[in-house]
Amino acid sequence: MMKPKIAVFEFSSCEGCQLMFANLEDEILEVLGAVEIVNFREIMTEKGDDYQIASVEGAITRESEIERLKKIREQAKVLVALGACAHLGGVNCIKNYQDQEEVRRYVYKERAEWFDTIPARPLSAVVPVDYAVPGCPIDKKELLEVTKSLLLGKKPSLPDYPVCVECKMAENICVFDKGMTCLGPVTRAGCAAICPTFGNKCEGCRGLVDNPNVNSHKQVLQEHGLSVQGILNSFRMFEGYLEVAK
Amino acid sequence: MPLKVIEKRDVEPLVRHLMERFQVVGIKKKDGKNTYGVIESPAELRLDSCATITSPKKYFFPQRETLLQFAVDGSWEPQAVVEAQPRIIFGMRPCDIAATWMLDMAFSEVNPDANYLEKRKRALIIGVDCKEPCDEYCFCKSMGTLEVETGYDLFFTAADDTYIVRTGTPEGEALLEEWGKAREALYEDRVKLRAVQREKDERFKEALEFDVEELPRFLEDSYRSLLWDVLGEKCLSCGSCNLVCPTCYCFNVLDEVKLNLSEGERYRVWDSCQLEGFAKVATGENFRERRGDRVRHRFFRKGKYMKEMFGRFGCVGCGRCTRACLVHINPIEVYNQLKGGE
Repeated sequence: MMKPKIAVFEFSSCEGCQLMFANLEDEILEVLGAVEIVNFREIMTEKGDDYQIASVEGAITRESEIERLKKIREQAKVLVALGACAHLGGVNCIKNYQDQEEVRRYVYKERAEWFDTIPARPLSAVVPVDYAVPGCPIDKKELLEVTKSLLLGKKPSLPDYPVCVECKMAENICVFDKGMTCLGPVTRAGCAAICPTFGNKCEGCRGLVDNPNVNSHKQVLQEHGLSVQGILNSFRMFEGYLEVAK
Repeated sequence: MPLKVIEKRDVEPLVRHLMERFQVVGIKKKDGKNTYGVIESPAELRLDSCATITSPKKYFFPQRETLLQFAVDGSWEPQAVVEAQPRIIFGMRPCDIAATWMLDMAFSEVNPDANYLEKRKRALIIGVDCKEPCDEYCFCKSMGTLEVETGYDLFFTAADDTYIVRTGTPEGEALLEEWGKAREALYEDRVKLRAVQREKDERFKEALEFDVEELPRFLEDSYRSLLWDVLGEKCLSCGSCNLVCPTCYCFNVLDEVKLNLSEGERYRVWDSCQLEGFAKVATGENFRERRGDRVRHRFFRKGKYMKEMFGRFGCVGCGRCTRACLVHINPIEVYNQLKGGE
């Protein structure tokens, strides 16, 4: 069997999701037995443009990124959005709620004239995306599941249930019972409820379930002390591109 | 079955003794809340605590459990995986004992489930009587589960410095026999037991405004009630109610292939009828697409369908679902409202 060729690219992001890819230390040899990596700036010098699967990290925040992403889409048979920025727009979309000119000056400083900036958006706002590995950062196990599914010719599927399911299975004390607020009840699971398990709240980095009861959950957040602005801010952390945060 | 007496100070030595032959499970503290866990040292066991987040069913029906291992190319026969070990659940409450009876029925009546039954067969249950209600959410008295006559191997009731121990099975009796430190109950112990039971009964209040035997009828009459739509508007479909429920036994079955792509395992994982995907089938059709329909289904399961199938209610009144519900869907209120809508 010909090994499928994979390329990994990044747009506006911290590159942490690629790092998770590179951190597959225990499994990397087995992965390399099944696929050939032809382009992955973070771990190798070679740069090949002959790939079937493109794993793309990062949100789109500049005009030039749109052109580059379209080229990747033309080459790739399968395009996988890697992590919250690529999947949802992620934390980059927080800037969409600020003055774009100010943001540009703040980020690029004295060279601001050299760069344009456009409201941040997920890959899917620019090109069709086949699959996503959600999260900030992505979960290694889930990345492997998606990789295995693609190799087996199966459609990778994400859990369509909220983080509460995994929290209850782990028998965590509910984040709300600890006096905090949480987006777990509307956020797509698959992370083994890692943040609540380690004492934090869920910030919604994996995006919302297919059909979240957002209105009811906004009331829950209000009942637990969040103002309308506080509620919007919590959704804007990762879901800024969605209607729910507007 | 004989009635025995154990001094309270002898419980720790008993647990230590049991730990030599069994994995001992009981209620422990976790971040200030109670949870069933494996007892590592006898002092951890909290026989006085109740209201655990989830039920002890996880020891018979784990959250995730491997069912079989297979070769992707079918080159070898799939191998069934059944894991069980000698285990004692020490301190199971009457509501959870009643719930375990329900699970026993569910996993043995129609399709005997080897994975559940093997774990169940190798486990002994030592029950502990409640002294007072866990909180305002439990309503075991109304559901008829405050007292259990069967379903345990031993059952402890605290009285002064002793536990008066009812033996429910020959296995339970043998356990005490072999330990050798329990004495026969005297007439005064029996008197004491009756007094404790009477006092306990007074502390528990009826939460339902009607006889629970009428519940199936109230539910049937409410099938088209607007109440379900109202609850559906609130429900987050987070599944928490099902996941903490001691009688919910639905699971999903999934395959996971190893990275070598040549072998894998089939496993089951707890599922919930409140989740959107639960009743979705291959073509994308969803038999309970509306939240209100899913909420109604849960209450019909607990208050009607299971009663019709097995002769007892699927709800044991433990209150866990209410404690876990962020939008305050409380079966006591729902059931009483059903009656009001009569």
